[in-house]
Amino acid sequence: MIPLLAALPLSFAFATALLLPLHRKNLAKYLFLTGAFVPWGVFLLGGEGSEIVGGWTRMGGIEVAVGVYSRWFILAELLLFSIAALYSVVYFRGKVKPFVLLLLIHTGLLGAFISRDLFNYYIYMEVVSVSTFSLVAFPGSSEAKKAAYKYLMLSMISSYFFVFAVGLLYLKTGYLNLYLMSQVVTQSKEVAAAIAIAFTSLLLKAGIFPLHSWLPDANSAAPTPVVILSGITVNVPLYGMLLLSTYLPLSVQFKAALTSIAFISMFAGVGMALLQRDAKRLLAYSTVSQMGYALIGIGTGNPLGAVYYSFAHSIIKGGLFLSVGSLSDARGSRRLDALSYRGDVLIAVSVIALSLAIGGVSPFVSALGKAEILQGLTWGRWLVYLAGVGTLAAFAKLNYWLSRGVGVRVGGVYRLLSIIPTLLVMGFGLYLYRAFQPFDAVTVGAGILTFALLRLSGLTDRGIGFELPVGRDVSINAALYALFLLLLLHVL
Amino acid sequence: MIDAETVGVLIMLIGLYGIIANEKPIKQVLSVNVLSVGLVLFFIGTGYVPNRTFPVMPANPVDPLPATLMLTTLVVDVALTALALALITDMGVDA
Repeated sequence: MIPLLAALPLSFAFATALLLPLHRKNLAKYLFLTGAFVPWGVFLLGGEGSEIVGGWTRMGGIEVAVGVYSRWFILAELLLFSIAALYSVVYFRGKVKPFVLLLLIHTGLLGAFISRDLFNYYIYMEVVSVSTFSLVAFPGSSEAKKAAYKYLMLSMISSYFFVFAVGLLYLKTGYLNLYLMSQVVTQSKEVAAAIAIAFTSLLLKAGIFPLHSWLPDANSAAPTPVVILSGITVNVPLYGMLLLSTYLPLSVQFKAALTSIAFISMFAGVGMALLQRDAKRLLAYSTVSQMGYALIGIGTGNPLGAVYYSFAHSIIKGGLFLSVGSLSDARGSRRLDALSYRGDVLIAVSVIALSLAIGGVSPFVSALGKAEILQGLTWGRWLVYLAGVGTLAAFAKLNYWLSRGVGVRVGGVYRLLSIIPTLLVMGFGLYLYRAFQPFDAVTVGAGILTFALLRLSGLTDRGIGFELPVGRDVSINAALYALFLLLLLHVL
Repeated sequence: MIDAETVGVLIMLIGLYGIIANEKPIKQVLSVNVLSVGLVLFFIGTGYVPNRTFPVMPANPVDPLPATLMLTTLVVDVALTALALALITDMGVDA
């Protein structure tokens, strides 16, 4: 039953693509919506468990599983994709190809989250990436094509090195299945090197600083439904890191290095977000920072923290991109000073609520993620609180600009959809966390105060922006990747 | 004698150097292809065991799995190269 999670959307993607030669374009949205929603049935009826595709033994087959950790990723994917699917039916009205590509993303995400086999995981991750590249380039603007090219090249380099690491592990253990691998693996230089290479690649794909630079470009140029999914696509590499860290031996100094990278990413992301004048880029840099939080969970050997945090983050970020993306599509600009949610209660409420949620304020599910992350952390807790204040300051900036100016009319469906992530984040928070921390009010106050001070000093309005030719940009980032690879190989 | 795995890794590194050293997108795509060829060679090398025969119902075969994995990677490679080249032609003078 579990393989159907990935197989059903894939067959619907194929069927939707067939509508083009059959000249039945009008049926596309029905097939698309069916393909988007059928995995819900499999997920709800199937329950947890593990299964070898085709009924082979573990040694000869490909294992798929819905486990304690992966079910949260799958749940987040299904929720977010359902919202994005309804959004894109309106957004891509009359087109067929985007629907096919979106279903392929659906396939890839679900397939990656059920993988227990490294090569199978890589293939599904590539399915997600390739479909995303094409969709990023879909608007056809020069900016979109450059973003897609940059994303493609950097992602391709890291993919090949990831497969290389998988090859090294295969050479040492003789298996691709993670469970079997964990049974025979021993601490050795080759295994440590393979882990370092695999992690460098996954860190790039997860948008961790300093390998993040494709992420703001891709997130700001891509069509809104695709950006809604960006919250969950960055969780695919995170899930890979989770698999590697739970099944393979990570050395103490390597974990410490990961935690340090996570902290750097948290602050760098917040800092860059505070400087942005482009609303979508602000959200994208916040993703860089939020992925740092989730990486702390990996670095401190606290998978549950990483899982809860990324579950919360994917829905919050999806919701924020939905609201802000709808506003900027309606206005035709992404500049903060051109956008406003005035006169639109639904979008205003969801942006404000999600802004609080992303700071880990307590009635929301992200507070649970943050509490879990903090539990596993032995040092630097105050850094997490500080980053939380920074995040709230960045989102105070977003709300400050959005609450000024003149609002625009946003389509009815978009407005209704924008409230769903807010309700989900709130509902899951009340259901799972059931705690209220008065201290959060201090954090929110500190965040707003920080923004006010930065605004008075004029630092947040200057903006930063320099544009490189896309080829040079790719070269520089590939060099960064190589340096980072050497760094992690040095730490091992 | 130097083995296929080592050569594969060297070719991968040459590919990575190519991406870093070339700013023309078309050359970068070619460099990524060099990188992927190195990867394929590395994998084929891992499957090879000296003095063993081909894996068609023999008694003592080489490891066929890496070669089959590489078929998949090659497909990904072709698809991505096509997409990258399409993007480059589309970008035109901007690139």
